[in-house]
Amino acid sequence: MKMPKILNHRNRVLLKELTKTDFKLRYQGSVLGYLWALLKPLMLFAILYFVFTQVFRFGDGIPHYAVYLLTGVVLWNFFMESTNQGIQAIVGRGDLIRKISFPKWIVVVSATATALINFAINLGVIIIFALLNGIMPNLGWLIVLVFVAELYLLSLGLAMLLGAINVKFRDISSIWEVLMQAVFYMIPIIYPISFVMEKNVLLAKILMLNPIAQVVQDVRYWLVTKEAVRTWDLIHNFGLRIIPLVFVIVVLVVASIYFRKRSKYFAEEI
Amino acid sequence: MKQKKMLNSKKSAGNTSSAETAVAISVSNVHKSFKLPTERAWGLKQAIFNRLRGVKGYTEYKVLKGINFEVKKGEFLGIVGRNGSGKSTLLKILSGIYTPEKGRVTINGNLVPFIELGVGFNFELTGRENIYLNGAMLGFSNAEMDEMYDEIVEFAELSDFMDQKLKNYSSGMQVRLAFSIAIRARGDILILDEVLAVGDAAFQQKCNDYFASLRGEQTVILVTHSMGNVREFCDRAILIEDGKILKEGDPEEVAEAYEGLWK
Repeated sequence: MKMPKILNHRNRVLLKELTKTDFKLRYQGSVLGYLWALLKPLMLFAILYFVFTQVFRFGDGIPHYAVYLLTGVVLWNFFMESTNQGIQAIVGRGDLIRKISFPKWIVVVSATATALINFAINLGVIIIFALLNGIMPNLGWLIVLVFVAELYLLSLGLAMLLGAINVKFRDISSIWEVLMQAVFYMIPIIYPISFVMEKNVLLAKILMLNPIAQVVQDVRYWLVTKEAVRTWDLIHNFGLRIIPLVFVIVVLVVASIYFRKRSKYFAEEI
Repeated sequence: MKQKKMLNSKKSAGNTSSAETAVAISVSNVHKSFKLPTERAWGLKQAIFNRLRGVKGYTEYKVLKGINFEVKKGEFLGIVGRNGSGKSTLLKILSGIYTPEKGRVTINGNLVPFIELGVGFNFELTGRENIYLNGAMLGFSNAEMDEMYDEIVEFAELSDFMDQKLKNYSSGMQVRLAFSIAIRARGDILILDEVLAVGDAAFQQKCNDYFASLRGEQTVILVTHSMGNVREFCDRAILIEDGKILKEGDPEEVAEAYEGLWK
């Protein structure tokens, strides 16, 4: 895999066609079609909004709590969807891999790209909510893209690594689903990190070393409210501050080495 | 669309002398074996069990034991052999799907493999969408497929059905569509695996005429069980038995040797 050859003509065509097909098939046969891509997050938001502003009032101290909450949920859904789809991608496209030769990373990237498209739609909905909530648009919103890229790279790395292992050990996808349930509660998505800080500052600091938590809080900080507590605010040691970023890079490097080594044998092992 | 692809375990210096450019495919000393699981070793549990008990969990099965041959540009080569002799594995190595364990495969030109017809076909998509999807799988861009599209539809005789979903096609229609893409897709080297017998008598006649017209112009590798096809189309043939080349050369002689396997 030489650098200029990675995105050559053929790979681009294949990536585009696979992603297009994925997206097309997802909503096919439904009356509302693509509209579901927009309706689903809207309905989900309505439920969450009701539950967390009327029933559990976790966010009373946080300005624009509804938008704050939705941002976290959307980022988490993006991570879940891209890793889950990515892990299944290689086994799921076994019919192709056994019959035609192409760079195998394309199926993983295409699976995560579909999640990325859904995320872009969700982000659009969040922005509408933010404007309705009286948040003024500002240049800081652009910084959000950097953190989205970080989260995407993390998902892609995990998907490549776990997807390659999943070819041999199909248990991985089940383990991952359960593990994700646990990780969900370790991230301040439905509860504010200040809840944890009041009880145990050290625990809060440890939780914020998780790159997903770091991204969620950073995005909230730049998009919704400067009152969102970031890893950067909580941890002052530079070496510790960059742990989430280092984690993402390590995952990417390990994933690409392992994937390159194993992908030659996917066709015979699936 | 010329490219030189190297599929090898030992990298060789890319020496392309003029004598070598007349060679489309060169296969030297290719070995391949598969590790077939003895017990189901798919799960984590089984893998740990096997490790603990010191069981390897697989038996090694040698499929190809040193294959050597060359295909010249414009040559129509037939590969024959019994079921399980290693033909399909060889084809998959040529297509770059499997990596050879030992030995080297050099491909000069753009290779279009049809190990199976209609790779990536999706029943929920229309005939038109499937043509473009299948084309993308084979490495053709939308613009290239635009050029081939009319010809494909015409050859398949399906122009009235292109906006129908594939699931509403009869099985004969599906195969005709896939086959038409296969033979209209323009690559330097065409690889076909047992796909000649499709459609009704009229369509088969059309396919046979097409194959006859390819002779001498297109480099083709055809894997088949039909000795009639070997005698009719091939310039040269190879008989594979038990992972080795048993006979190579004149199609007539190879076809006789193949038929002789059961005597």
